[in-house]
Amino acid sequence: MKSKLFSLDDALAPIRSGSSISLGGSLLRRPPNAAVRWLIKNNVRDLTLLTWAATTAIDLLAAAGAVKRYEGIYAGLFNFGLAPNFRRRVQEGAIEVRDFSETAMVARLRAASQGLPSLPIKTLFGSDIALKNPEQIKEYACPISGEQLLAVAAARSDFTILHGYVGDEFGNVQWPLVRDSDDVDQMMAAASSRLIVTVEKIVPHEVISRRPALTYIPGQMVEAIVEIPYGAHPAAVDGFYDEDQAHLEAYVEASQTDQGASAYLDRYARQALDHSDYLRLLGGLAAVEKLTVEREDTWQ
Amino acid sequence: MNAHHTPNELLTSQVARVILDDDLAFVGVGTNGRAFTLAVGIPLAGLRLAQMLHAPGASGYWGNLLEPDLSSFPEHLKQDSLTRWKAAASPVDVGYKCDMLARRGFDVSFDSGAQIDRYGNLNITAIGDYARPKVRLVGCLAQPEHFAFVRRPIVMMDLDRRSFVEKVDFVTSVGHARDGRTRQEWGLGEGGPHVVITNKAILDFDTPDRSMRLRSLHDGVSLEEVLDSMGFRPTIPDYIAITPAPTSRELQLIRQEIDPDRVLLKV
Repeated sequence: MKSKLFSLDDALAPIRSGSSISLGGSLLRRPPNAAVRWLIKNNVRDLTLLTWAATTAIDLLAAAGAVKRYEGIYAGLFNFGLAPNFRRRVQEGAIEVRDFSETAMVARLRAASQGLPSLPIKTLFGSDIALKNPEQIKEYACPISGEQLLAVAAARSDFTILHGYVGDEFGNVQWPLVRDSDDVDQMMAAASSRLIVTVEKIVPHEVISRRPALTYIPGQMVEAIVEIPYGAHPAAVDGFYDEDQAHLEAYVEASQTDQGASAYLDRYARQALDHSDYLRLLGGLAAVEKLTVEREDTWQ
Repeated sequence: MNAHHTPNELLTSQVARVILDDDLAFVGVGTNGRAFTLAVGIPLAGLRLAQMLHAPGASGYWGNLLEPDLSSFPEHLKQDSLTRWKAAASPVDVGYKCDMLARRGFDVSFDSGAQIDRYGNLNITAIGDYARPKVRLVGCLAQPEHFAFVRRPIVMMDLDRRSFVEKVDFVTSVGHARDGRTRQEWGLGEGGPHVVITNKAILDFDTPDRSMRLRSLHDGVSLEEVLDSMGFRPTIPDYIAITPAPTSRELQLIRQEIDPDRVLLKV
């Protein structure tokens, strides 16, 4: 087996402006925010983003003016309200939006996983989600049954970035025993072309190989794995740490204007040297460790 | 308003009465403030109330949890409270839930949005032009699935002229008809919103063309007040009922067992 352990710089270097990226996580769980801050710092722009329930990751990129197009089921800040920067950019007409409902997005990911151009659903008849997107949602008659169906286009992207719990240097990423399963990260991994995973911690392969059924992202699918503790901050990693409520409130406050959002990005993404520097800006490990929750897993 | 119960207690008892024994009810997890009370608080309290009274076999799907334990609720819902929530099952990813929806595994769902029209079309996506909206909202989540596949979706919205409109700006979820075509003509099966539970009245779609009808007024609310709060005129029946008040048993369960700290029915 070949080591796939990289620095964030090396792992993300292939991502150029104009790329399409599937971003993992759902609501305030596991958005790959450290990677997102890297993209902003390195001025990667004109991105097409494919997401499930996106929050901080898409809003940070929208604040940076880096999003050209969005395709997903939700973009907001969960119990912190609407996504202020995403909302402003969409209202300005600066982001092209294609909304997809949950069965549609799942079918799109499954199609990409299977190497199919599309899969059918029966959900969106008569909905503006379908009527406003004739390129990616098309009605046809099932050649077997004759039933009318809607084909939805496969969710193909140039890159997929996920933030996971724990992995080994070969890219095998595992679930803890107690987690929140309300996401599609496993499906996004299966649908990926080039998969970059950041994880809270790298552990020896021997620890992973003892319980292979807990590996939800097989290293076989992974191009690069990077160790980034608190890599989802200010959002949460279920079973590791909670969302940083005070930071999120300050972010929402700052994001009421373009200038405020830009000052936030200058401080936390553009001027921070790297992720360690970001943690230092938050007050160091002692400050973020206050967010830690009780762990129930097999790696300790 | 009846001095013996709060408006939220009335809505909770109304939700409970829509839930039948053995129903599987889909409840969302998001938002805050009044939107949380409408989308999560009242639905969970109503489901629990139904379980304790006439529907012991009713269960919920909340987050990605099947049959979540509804016996207590923390004051602040952070990720770790969701992570450790007790439930019968937490399927490996959300695709399972999507499949259950598409195969009509759910009896009830709870839905709210920024706009709803006469035929129950719901908008949670954008106000104004889709490409350059006046207000961009959250998108769609699984709300189109709820109206497409769930047997009796329950809409929870406060009555407001800006929300109850003649024509929604964007049809996220298809109700009973749009642009002169019925949902069946559009290609959907049975379903669509079953009842609309508001802060002033209960509405339903029990009309020949499945457009909105006033079912009952909450005690103390006038017909005029309801019509003033709507951007279209629903069908008004000859005899307008008063929404039945919660029973003393319902109130006792809500106050002492289900939500003693007023977390679910806060605002």
